[in-house]
Amino acid sequence: MSHGHVHETSAGTSNRVKSLIAALEAANVLTEAQLDGAVESFLTHAQPANGARLVARAWTDAAFRRRLLADGNAAAAELGIDLAHWAPVKLRVVANEPGRHNVIVCTLCSCYPLALLGPSPSWYKSDAYRSRAVRDPRGILAEFGTHLGDDVEITVWDSTAEVRYLVLPQRPAGTQAASEQQLQALVTRNGMIGTALV
Amino acid sequence: MSRIHDMGGLHGFGPLAVESDEPPFHHEWEARVFAINRFLLKRGAYTLDEFRDAIERMPPAEYLQASYYERWLHAIESLVAEKGVLDVRRG
Amino acid sequence: MFGVGDRVRARVMNPAGHTRLPAYLRGRPGRIEHVLGTLPFPDQRAAGVVSAAQTAYTVRFAAHDVWGADGEPRDSICADLFESYLEACE
Repeated sequence: MSHGHVHETSAGTSNRVKSLIAALEAANVLTEAQLDGAVESFLTHAQPANGARLVARAWTDAAFRRRLLADGNAAAAELGIDLAHWAPVKLRVVANEPGRHNVIVCTLCSCYPLALLGPSPSWYKSDAYRSRAVRDPRGILAEFGTHLGDDVEITVWDSTAEVRYLVLPQRPAGTQAASEQQLQALVTRNGMIGTALV
Repeated sequence: MSRIHDMGGLHGFGPLAVESDEPPFHHEWEARVFAINRFLLKRGAYTLDEFRDAIERMPPAEYLQASYYERWLHAIESLVAEKGVLDVRRG
Repeated sequence: MFGVGDRVRARVMNPAGHTRLPAYLRGRPGRIEHVLGTLPFPDQRAAGVVSAAQTAYTVRFAAHDVWGADGEPRDSICADLFESYLEACE
């Protein structure tokens, strides 16, 4: 979704996909029903609620937080989240702290923790975000209405290998009495990408 | 210096287009393209690196014009042809 | 092999094929932040070559080492880079 022509598509593209599927079916490589099943399974299992569960647990359980930051895959497995279901990736969770903020990007393509955040938003995959996040993270954050002081150090994580990054936001003030479930509801997708605060 | 996909630091792409309540896919064909790629990767028809390379080999002007899943479609079509995925004799 | 805290420099290179070393980091000095272990080497795998695994590292680059005066003094960029992309610095 490069510039202005965001989601226009031609009938030609749709027909190209139909022809491709027909050819793959004819060669006994796959069936249309298998594709539908794969899409449904992906949309059911890959959800930002998974990331929110990790974050809320880390906010309420200091030992879990340490395990999550040390070995994301093992900590996710504790909550029954299988990161390797979609691709063999390593999860690295990076924690926001007072004075330290993290932002995730993939400048070369669109690497993203799908299992934890669901399908990525178009802006994350856009040329505009990929080109700019590494040189102007503060400008990007400002576009999301997020303003950090000059005293805050920003680290931009460019996902160039098989590591998928997730930001552990800071727990919002005044939530001491909130339950883990209530906390989960506060966690946003953009908060876990790092373009917003929670 | 590099191929067109390697755009970290480039200027000129403008502000982000942020869509509220964005659907996971904007067209049915996009979901299909996503699923075909998953399927072919899992089947070992090609590796993720070969897939990325096939996107990166797009002529720069075409790459910049194409939407995200159009790039994927281009790469899948290229690899299906190059790898002989439709060659039923292959087994 | 590098260890956490080692100073490294991303090599200057300009391959025609797939690589995970972004152009904006080539030639820049950084510091090993994390050792990721061994991973298949994408540059070869993309060319259909069954490759030996290589050690990969998370490397932290100061924004001013990448963008000069146009980088924010306190900000940095971390990228995951393979052994053969890096050389010892100093």
